[in-house]
Amino acid sequence: MAVHSLAEFELLVMLAALRLGDEAYTVSIAGDIEKRTGRSVRRANVYTTLQRLEAKGLVSTRLGDPRPERGGRPRRLVTVEPVGLAAVRATTGAIREMVGGLDDVIGETG
Amino acid sequence: MSTPRWARALLRFLAPRHHEDDVVGDLEEAHGNRVERRGRVLAWLLTSLEGLDMGFTILRDRIRRKGPPARSPSEASSEDVLTGVGISWLDFKLGFRMLVKYPGLTIVGSLAIAFAISLGAGMFEFITDFTYPKLPFDGGDRIVELRNRDLATGRPDPRALHDFVAWRDELRTVEEIGAYRTFQRNLITERGTARPLLGAELTATALSIPRVPPLLGRLLSEADEVPGAPSVVLISHDVWQGQFGRDPDVVGQTVRLASEHATIIGVMPKGFAWPWSHSLWAPLRLNVLDYERGESAAVQITGRLAPGAILEEAQAELTAIGLRTAADHPESHGELRPEVVPYGKLSLPITGIGPAAFLSLNVLFFLALILLVCGNVALLLFARTAAREGEIVVRSALGASRGRIVAQLFAEALVLGGVAAVVGLAGAELGLSWVMSIMRRLGEDFGFWFSERLSETTIAYALMFTLLAAVVSGVGPALKVTGRGVQAQLQRAGTGGSGLEFGRFWTVVIVTQIAITVCFVPIIVVIGFDTAEIRSSSYGFPAQEYLFAEFAVDGEISSMAELGGPEASGNRVSAEFQASYNELKLRFAEEPGVSAVTAAGQIPGAYHPRRFIEVDGPSAPVWSPRGHRAQTTSVDLDFFDALGASIVSGRNFDAADLESGQRVAVVNEDFARFILEDRNPIGRRFAFNEQGRENPDAPNPGPWFEIVGVVRQIAMTINPDLNDASGIYLLLGTDEVYPIRLAIRVGRDPESFAPRLRELVGDLDPNLLLTDVRPLDESAWALELTYRSWFWVILGAGGIGLLLATAGIYSTMSFTVSRRTREIGIRVALGAERERVVWAIFSRAFKQITLGVVAGGVLIAGFLMMPEIDYRPKPFHAVIFAGYLTVMLCVCGLACIVPTQRALGVEPTEALRAEG
Repeated sequence: MAVHSLAEFELLVMLAALRLGDEAYTVSIAGDIEKRTGRSVRRANVYTTLQRLEAKGLVSTRLGDPRPERGGRPRRLVTVEPVGLAAVRATTGAIREMVGGLDDVIGETG
Repeated sequence: MSTPRWARALLRFLAPRHHEDDVVGDLEEAHGNRVERRGRVLAWLLTSLEGLDMGFTILRDRIRRKGPPARSPSEASSEDVLTGVGISWLDFKLGFRMLVKYPGLTIVGSLAIAFAISLGAGMFEFITDFTYPKLPFDGGDRIVELRNRDLATGRPDPRALHDFVAWRDELRTVEEIGAYRTFQRNLITERGTARPLLGAELTATALSIPRVPPLLGRLLSEADEVPGAPSVVLISHDVWQGQFGRDPDVVGQTVRLASEHATIIGVMPKGFAWPWSHSLWAPLRLNVLDYERGESAAVQITGRLAPGAILEEAQAELTAIGLRTAADHPESHGELRPEVVPYGKLSLPITGIGPAAFLSLNVLFFLALILLVCGNVALLLFARTAAREGEIVVRSALGASRGRIVAQLFAEALVLGGVAAVVGLAGAELGLSWVMSIMRRLGEDFGFWFSERLSETTIAYALMFTLLAAVVSGVGPALKVTGRGVQAQLQRAGTGGSGLEFGRFWTVVIVTQIAITVCFVPIIVVIGFDTAEIRSSSYGFPAQEYLFAEFAVDGEISSMAELGGPEASGNRVSAEFQASYNELKLRFAEEPGVSAVTAAGQIPGAYHPRRFIEVDGPSAPVWSPRGHRAQTTSVDLDFFDALGASIVSGRNFDAADLESGQRVAVVNEDFARFILEDRNPIGRRFAFNEQGRENPDAPNPGPWFEIVGVVRQIAMTINPDLNDASGIYLLLGTDEVYPIRLAIRVGRDPESFAPRLRELVGDLDPNLLLTDVRPLDESAWALELTYRSWFWVILGAGGIGLLLATAGIYSTMSFTVSRRTREIGIRVALGAERERVVWAIFSRAFKQITLGVVAGGVLIAGFLMMPEIDYRPKPFHAVIFAGYLTVMLCVCGLACIVPTQRALGVEPTEALRAEG
């Protein structure tokens, strides 16, 4: 089976979902990316990205329990599937390969 | 400030199935976080923006994920093609361009759809507030009302104190069961006497059901319910603000509720008006042991469904208890069946139909209205689409599928519908607020959950109909335009010929539209005349010099209202009330500026009940099978003198009539003229026959009243629809009357006497409630307001209909000229007279107009000839109709002017070039 390659934002969403584990859902993923990257994240983008990743079979979702802070509505919790994990490995591996040998340049410019 | 409702409604509408809850939940949670970090106002703004962003992104993503259709080379070049249904963002962009390019169609089409959406959405919101109320409390949907229904009458029986105790002790599926009853009382503070306020006496549990803590102080406790405990009261935020100037130390202060002193123990937060629209809350101190079963005081009972319990389970448990009680106490409960209903849900079926059926009728009405309007808008869109025939044919030739073209035209209609939906929903909110303010002025009291804002459900409902509007007005014409063979159209387009025509269907649409518009005219004219007539109605005495006041005794109003009004309770003027009234009259006599004061059951100008009567001896032929009808009221001895109404024959009432208890009456001149056909009324007898003659089981009429005098005609009910104002005056005290209305003659500017009147009444007896005070000549204001409101609504609907008809004719004419350019040019080149050319083109439009007006005329005539309509033709009616026909032809003629000029401006060379 071909391993998926992830776009940049998809990779960020996947990494945040892996880090958050059982607490991964749209709002927490958006918050995690904002906190770690310092960039502003549109929750609408996180939502549609998760929809896309789910359609590709990289993640699966399930409804949690109703929660009072959400007006009694449940969270849609995200689980990264093995295929998704493989896609994360492949994409981060490719990035590492590309970054290899450029430490001096990146270090100077970045 | 909670999450914007419209944003929740939008996301719920757009989110994929099964995702609605978590998407809205995300919005709620993000909003909560923002409120903590940035404050409510900023959070509301940011959440609104996020809602829009989220909705837009979800919509785009949903369309994108369906995948593009097989594209033609000419269509596939754009990356913007997004959809599986063939709609692209380019189509929406084109739709907006079309709005700008055809401003006339944009204005007429969007106004028409907006009108339908306003009406449909406004009615839906209003009806759902009645039928499926949403209480703005924590778990408001679990609050229920428990009541007994009398199987014999079908009405709720509120005498349920014993049942309250039983249900509270036994029910497991309903918890926190409490009881309350309503009172109206004067709240008297150190700052002066307040107007009468609506309050509730309730058990501590009943007040805590909404789970709303007080703003200041405490709620009621069970200790407050104990007889003999200190009197306490909670006040509303409005009372705290209006009567106490938001005094932070108000708790602990003493006020008087009528004659009873009470200590304020709390202030409820703004907007809290549980259980209906109450402003005061006092403990309910009713001991069940003081009452016989079935004879107890009237109370309402509320509770909350227990966790996990559903309504059906509660009903089953309640039914079991009810059956047992009926078996144990057949004399009081044999005919009673307990029921549990969501709190605030319409308690009585309207004209025999249940809430669900009532709501379905609204949906059907809305559906019919939107189809009617969209049928007309479709005509306009068809004309616009037909004008773009060349573009469509070329696109087809380049490979665009029929579905693709239909999708584009649908998207354009959707843009038009979207604009209309925004305008319509804004109009619905404004309209709702207008209607509710009018109904409040007419005395209607709404429950606290009635909102002047539209709910999410209503918004979603309106959006669904917008989609339907786009389908009807966009897809229909699109299918028609693309339905013919492209090759044939291509050939015709190439030779400048017409590939499309307005067929019989559109002719029927235009004729129907005009006929309906014609029908609006007599309604508008009649209501307009009636409104003017009400305004200029003569009272028959200087009504502008009188102040009107309605007064009652504390406690009597509420007890009667609960038992179904004075008729049901058999309540009459109490001795206490009569004494207060007599004392008040004495005080008025000493008051400078007051030249007369009198009392009656109904004051001139206000509504007087029309009762069926039997006349002893010869009388006019009876037009109704149920007998003669006359307006009736009871009046004080000096009523006619106080109003300056002279007795034209016989005599006035006198004190001996009151003492002897003899049944005597004075009738007015119309009674003598219409019912007795100018025979001498003095000494004649009549009797009330409430059931009318039609009912064979009705009791014999009686008792008989003797006519002792005829009074000059003064106003009773001011109603322009009544041709016959026959009236009967009985003596106050010989008939049921409650409350009493006063007419006080104080000269010019009677309203300035109102504060003094309140002072006098307050000094005399704090238990006396002045429930309505205003100048007497405003007594017909409610009727006038109703007529005026109807006038504007019908005028609006008629205006929209006329606008649509005119626009339809304009489109037809415009289209015809563009299709017949070649023919016109050739005719002119061959020397045809211009008048003949014009007539040849526009004769069809004039035929349509004439047919429509005649059809409308026939409809009106048919309606007026119905026996139920007591229509009496007047010469000016014919003038109005002829005038309207002329106006209609002129308006439609004006709609033809531009196409006419275009037709006559066609040069023969241009026409021949088009052929080449």
